[in-house]
Order: sequence, then structure tokens, then C-alpha cells
Amino acid sequence: MTAAAPTASAEPRTLAAPAGLLSDVTNITARSIRGILREPELFIFALIIPVFFFVVQLGALGDVAERAFNISSYAAFQLPISVLFAAASTSGGNALVLDITNGYWDKLSVTPVRRSALVVGTLFGEMFAVLGYSLVLIVFGWIIGVRFAGNELLGALGLLGLTLLFGIGFAAVSIAVALATGSIRATQSTFIIFFPLLFLTPSALQRELMTGWFETAVSLNPITYVVEASRRFLETGYVAVGEGSYAVAMTRGVLAATLFCAVTFTLTALAFRRRVRMG
Amino acid sequence: MSTAIQAIDLVRDFGEVKAVRGVSLQVEEAEIYGFLGPNGAGKSTTVRILVTLLPPTSGTGTVLGHDVVTERTTVRRLIGVALQEAGLDPKQTGRELLTLQGRLYGLRGQVLPAQVAEVTELVGLTDAIDRRIQTYSGGMKRRLDLASALLHRPRVLFLDEPTTGLDPLSRSLIWDRIRELRGSYGTTVFLTTQYLEEADELADRVAIIDEGRIVRQGTPAALKAEVGADVIDVAVDERETGAARVAIEEMQHGGELPKGELRGTESGYTLFVPDGPENLAVLIRGLDRAGVRFGAVSVSRPTLDDVFLAATGGRMAEKAERAAEEEERTPEPAGRGAQ
Repeated sequence: MTAAAPTASAEPRTLAAPAGLLSDVTNITARSIRGILREPELFIFALIIPVFFFVVQLGALGDVAERAFNISSYAAFQLPISVLFAAASTSGGNALVLDITNGYWDKLSVTPVRRSALVVGTLFGEMFAVLGYSLVLIVFGWIIGVRFAGNELLGALGLLGLTLLFGIGFAAVSIAVALATGSIRATQSTFIIFFPLLFLTPSALQRELMTGWFETAVSLNPITYVVEASRRFLETGYVAVGEGSYAVAMTRGVLAATLFCAVTFTLTALAFRRRVRMG
Repeated sequence: MSTAIQAIDLVRDFGEVKAVRGVSLQVEEAEIYGFLGPNGAGKSTTVRILVTLLPPTSGTGTVLGHDVVTERTTVRRLIGVALQEAGLDPKQTGRELLTLQGRLYGLRGQVLPAQVAEVTELVGLTDAIDRRIQTYSGGMKRRLDLASALLHRPRVLFLDEPTTGLDPLSRSLIWDRIRELRGSYGTTVFLTTQYLEEADELADRVAIIDEGRIVRQGTPAALKAEVGADVIDVAVDERETGAARVAIEEMQHGGELPKGELRGTESGYTLFVPDGPENLAVLIRGLDRAGVRFGAVSVSRPTLDDVFLAATGGRMAEKAERAAEEEERTPEPAGRGAQ
């Protein structure tokens, strides 16, 4: 980090010096966040679907669901779904693919920056966006009466933490596609994996009420366990038998989100190697 | 004086397409080296190899003695690069872009803002530096790109067509800056261009590249002297080209005209002969006598385009047109790298 001198003495006329990985990642992250903040319209678009879904689901099913599923607050039951939806609306890959197509990626690549920092910084920028979306939705939930179980602050932090883990894993998919293809259209269409990942879950009702192939598919989807763990942070007035104790549900949720990230990060790493080898 | 850039037999294929077919060159420190050729000649691919963006299929390149493949990080610290498409993040301001760039080069403390101010001033963007880049004109973006390439005071500067598409004023500003840099910091400049005039004005030495190979290399004056003759251009009606060739060749055989090189061009013929003015008169009389109808006739000292014509058998503009047509017919082989 303090290495300004060594190359300076060997190469007397250039001012360049090693910057350090931490510095590289910090600088690229700051640039990503600046970019996100300068497109507030994206922020609004990313929140429209989750809010719409939340309100419609609540309006259509709220009363019925509370009676049929024996839940005291269907709003609390649905809030984690909306938060996860929002987390999946990030556009990390889009920002990156724009850099690749307009040549800025090349420009950054001829600087001494570690190329991994370009990807990691973008991911960190996305975490910032996920945090923003989640906070807005949690506040919205609070206003309409959704409460966290036990300590409100710890509950909120828990939900945020799990959402961040899922969100960064999801962002990594579009980043992988951006790196592998360099195509704007391909990157934008990764959004569709959102549907199986988030709808083949206990999004509308508990898993123990499901049957047949749907129940099987839902049980195989790791995001199911993220959803179930997320709900435990909230005061839904109900705990499904099949979801196990608090500790079991949390462990499953964190493990599932970690597994999801492990898979998507591996994809990103492979795509990154491909991109760097291509030049 | 030591070597700043060396390439030995660089080759780069994109599948079937051979973009660079064995480029060897050497650039000395503090030299301005012009890499001249039409679009699609392999200029950008060569640059992308030398600036560590693209590995060569074979061959080696070094910058100040450091290999561009195995010592990439060292090379990147030593060079400044402005690529053909000024890839800039439109959402940042000019100052933010430069500051980020400086940090990635490890500039810190007081040096960073001082350098940002210096290069901003140098390219004449001081008034616009706090505006978002999306509001910049093409010329301003190009100048910002140049500024960002200079920020860390590189020892070797690579400029890929720095003035293509710029108005004459911006062009001459960039020329002046390049000369100043070499003057005050001894910066080596490797510059690609499709403008003959630019290579002629700016470069100490020029390499002419065509179809992935260097066909001539030397100072502009030496290259033009190599042509060894004046250039007579004669425009001939399309239906008369056969007759014109016969008439000229007869004059050459009969000793009326010296046996200089004769090349067909799109509009007629170009003849390389000593004593241009005198032979021009001979040519006109001869064509008249043979009853060949011809249009405009001119005699001139050779230009780099004539060097190009003598070396490749085609004018640069014609080659560029053909390359553009081919590009339209066949989809680009390997994305951006093939340019």
C-alpha cells in the first residue's frame, strides 16, 4: 500500500506505482456506486415489480390466506418475497456489459488495476443497490404494520444479511453472462432465471401445504430455504411444522444462500478467465 | 539511445482471418513513430498486442525491455494508451474519470489533483472537467481520453488513430500536444493513423502496414526519396484505358519516356519518372499522337500515398474502401479484437 518508491527509482520518469488490491477494489466500488446513484430511474423500476406484487398478492389473497393457512399476518409472510424480488432486480451485469461494449473495460484493463477488482468492485456496487432496495421495502412493510419477531433491529439486520447474500449471488449470474458473452441482450435476459428461482418456492403458501411435482421442485430449489429462513425474522404468527426449529431453518437458509453463491461465483470466475484470456 | 518498443515477428490470427502476419519493428526512446495504413490493415490489432490487451498468436513484443505477455503489469505502468474508440464512462464527470484513472496508477496525495489539473489544462478541458462525460462532444471525449493516458506520465504513449473524425482545429491541438510531450518529457509516441498528412507531419519514422505486414519503414523523407521519381497522374476515360496503356508502354519501349513504374489507378494511370515536368510534356504529346482521350494531368513530388502505391499497388483510400466493403459482406470474426 505504501509502495510509491520501488518502481519510481527504476523507471525515473513515470509516476505510476503499485496501488494495491484493496485500493483497486475500493476505487472500482466507489465508481459503481456513483453510477448507481446517478440512475435513480433504475432504482424506481427495480422497486415497482416487488411493490406491485406485494400489494396485489396481499389484496387478492391476504384475508383468505390468513384464515386458510392459519397466519396472523400475510403481509409479514409476503415481505421477504418482495425483498428477495427486489434483490434480484439488480443490474450489475448490465453496467459491466456496457463497459465492455463501449470500450471502457479495455481502457481500465490497460491500467495496472487487477482485473479481478473490476468484477469484485462491480459486485460490491450491487450489494449497495440491494441494500437500498431492501431498506425501502422494509420501511414500507413497517409502515403498513409488518413487525419483526423478537428484537426488531436484529430481525431487520438478519433479513438484510440473508438478502444481501442472495442478491450478490444473483448479481453474479448476470455478471458472468456479461463477461462470457459481452452481449447486452444476453445479459439483460438473465433476468428470466428469476422466475424459476423465486416462484418455485413457498412464495404464496407454506411448503407443507404443497403436493406432487410442485412440492418436489420447491424442495429442490435452494432459494426455498432462503425464503423460509427469511420469514423466521418476521412476526407471521405461524411456524410451519416442516420448516423445523429456528436454528435449523436459519442454518438451512444460510447454507442454501451460500451454496447458491458458490455456484454463481464459480460461473463468474470461469467467465472472467475466459474474458481475460481473450484479451 | 535505447529501445522503447520492439516487436519481433508478431502474428495474430482470429480463426481463419490473419489480422497481423509477422510484424517486426523497433522504436527508439523519445521517437514519434507513425504506423500508417488503411482501415483493416492490422494497425489496431498490433497496438492491442503491444499494450497487453491481446496476446499474440506468435512472436514477441517488449516495451522498455519488458515482455508484453509475461510482464504485463510492469508494461501497463510504463505505458499510456488512448484506444481508437474512446471508451469512457458517460455517467462520470471528467474529473472523476481522471481521478479514478490516477488512483489505479497508484497516484496519491497532492500528486493526483496536481496531475489531473495539469493534463486537463494540457488538453484544454478545464472549463468542462466537472461536467458529466455524456455531455461531451466527440472531440472533447477524445481529448479527455488523451488526458487520461498522460496522467501518470507514461514513458511510452500509444495512440490509436488519435485524430480520426476530428475537426482540423482539434487535430492540430493534438499534434501540438504530442510534440510538446516528446519535447518536455522525452515520451516515446507510437501513433497509428490513416492520414498520410499526419504521419508526414508528426512522425520521425513511419511504418507502412498493409494486409497485416509492414511493407515500408523509414523517415518520411527517405521513404519518399525511395520512390526515386516524380509522380505523374493522368486521368483517362474508362473506355480508353487499354489504349492509354499501350501508348505509354510504346513510348517507354521507344525510349521517349524513361522506364519508370506504371500503375493503373481508379481514375487512370500513375507514372513514376524522374524529371516530371519534362516527361509530362512528352507524355501529353505521345497520348495525343496515339489519339487517346485523356482528362486531368498533373505532376507532383511523391507523397507517402505514392510510397504506399509503389509498395502495395493500390492507393490507401481504395484499399480502405475495399476493406470496408468486405467487412460489410463478412461478419466480423472475433469481435472487437479484430479491428
